[in-house]
Amino acid sequence: MNDLYLARTAHSPEVDFRFSSHELTLTGEAYPENAADFFQPLLSALEGYLRGVDGQEIHINFRLTYFNSAATKMLYSMFELLNETACTSNRVILNWFHDEEDDTILEFGEGVHDDFSALDFRPVAVDLATA
Amino acid sequence: MLSPAAIAESRAGLSEIESEYIARSLLREAPTVAPHQTNDEVMQLLSERSDVVSLPVVENGLPIGLINRNIFMDGIAKPFRRELFGRKSCIAFMDKQPLVVSEHMSIQELSFKVVGAGGKTLNDGFVITDDAGLYLGVGTGEDLVKIVTHLQAEKNRLVMESINYASVIQKSFLRASREDMAAALHDYFIHWEPRDKVGGDYYFCKKFEDGFFIALIDCTGHGVPGAFMTLIMASFLDHILLEDNRRDPAGALAMMNRKVKIALGQIGEHNIVPIEGQRFAHSPDKEQSDDGMDTAFCWVESCKLIYAGAKTPLFTLENGATEVTVIEGDRKGVGYVDTPMDYTWTNKEIALSKGMRVYLTTDGIIDQIGGTKDIAFGKKRFCNLLVENSELPLVAQKERIMQAFYTYQGKQRRRDDVSLLGFRI
Repeated sequence: MNDLYLARTAHSPEVDFRFSSHELTLTGEAYPENAADFFQPLLSALEGYLRGVDGQEIHINFRLTYFNSAATKMLYSMFELLNETACTSNRVILNWFHDEEDDTILEFGEGVHDDFSALDFRPVAVDLATA
Repeated sequence: MLSPAAIAESRAGLSEIESEYIARSLLREAPTVAPHQTNDEVMQLLSERSDVVSLPVVENGLPIGLINRNIFMDGIAKPFRRELFGRKSCIAFMDKQPLVVSEHMSIQELSFKVVGAGGKTLNDGFVITDDAGLYLGVGTGEDLVKIVTHLQAEKNRLVMESINYASVIQKSFLRASREDMAAALHDYFIHWEPRDKVGGDYYFCKKFEDGFFIALIDCTGHGVPGAFMTLIMASFLDHILLEDNRRDPAGALAMMNRKVKIALGQIGEHNIVPIEGQRFAHSPDKEQSDDGMDTAFCWVESCKLIYAGAKTPLFTLENGATEVTVIEGDRKGVGYVDTPMDYTWTNKEIALSKGMRVYLTTDGIIDQIGGTKDIAFGKKRFCNLLVENSELPLVAQKERIMQAFYTYQGKQRRRDDVSLLGFRI
């Protein structure tokens, strides 16, 4: 499985899916003009990767500061895939990075935690001013 | 040749405008030379025709090269060159690989080719041929830039005219709600600011004998598609309230949910059909929409408010209170594919006291990126603003809140439509 890297743009996040070391990172913002076009290839790659791993510890680093509602739906599809694998085959640690003052992202993360209980949800408060 | 008058007369629509111009529109007649002609003859011709920038070389009707005036003149001007090359074939100084295009090539394809060919082609121009590849004439980079600029401006104008008028329609749809708000309330404000002139945010108010129904709606998307959705939602809501169910906002949400799902065909469990066990291997059917709305529905009567929310909280502030009460709605949006057809929302009853303030906002304010850290505005900041300004008349509160919002946004781009309403009991 090849690693997947996409550079950050004004409307889409940096995607750094290191399947080889089981560490997947999303950084930035997600409000692409067409969310499905942007996320489908990522979901497809993730699904392909998950079918080939078993008994692994997978680390997800979620470092998004903004996503619109269309992107949210796509992110939920992603968490759904991860939650399924966490129920059956792999351990999934979801590192939920948020600025210490960013209650919006934290609150969203808590919702994700409620909805996808098989994920090991770990909020990580950071100071983006010094990051 | 390009005629400004012909351009100005164009009345083509958006889809026609691209096809109205092709490479032939740029055709200029130019003198040509044949390979048997000498450099002396070229020199003669160029000195007689100062308007000629490049001179096509044509053999048996086929273009074989392009002589650029400056390159030719520089070349021939060097010592002894004239003596050496003067009587020789003019192909010595010609560019053997100029850009040659068919007269039917679209302006867009031509632009890409010219840009791809580098600065040379913009300067020298290109040769235009008929279907058989026979020489017709030349086009210049200057004319191409002119026509591309014109097409761009024309397309912008058509799109903007259309959006401006869409904005007129969307605003007039809101008029009835504004009038009913004015009739039902004394101290209130509404701030509606679509990101792209029209948008997916919408407010709704309808006054009845025994109270009023008020809603703030955030439909999927923004811009024109968002605005389409608001009109669908507004007409459904109007229809639903004709029946006697205004005191049951949760029931109204459930009815909206069913109506939207049926109208948009969003009734499947999941719009992504599993194909050989892999859900995301193929693109989903592009025609399948997944649209809906996040919203707060409120029924307000003399001493109580009944609220039902779809991912949209209600903010209240009692007279003299120093803390905002945030009442969260249910966590499912209305109409979306992943919201079940029979999903039920919950009504929450809030006792109203004299002087109590009630606010609703879509996520446009809370989620806007800005500040020194480029993070979301956030609920906490929003609630603090409500408390700080709570003693002011509502219209003045709006000014303060929006000012703080704009300052926070700073140089960041607006992310979404912004709507905010507030009223005092």
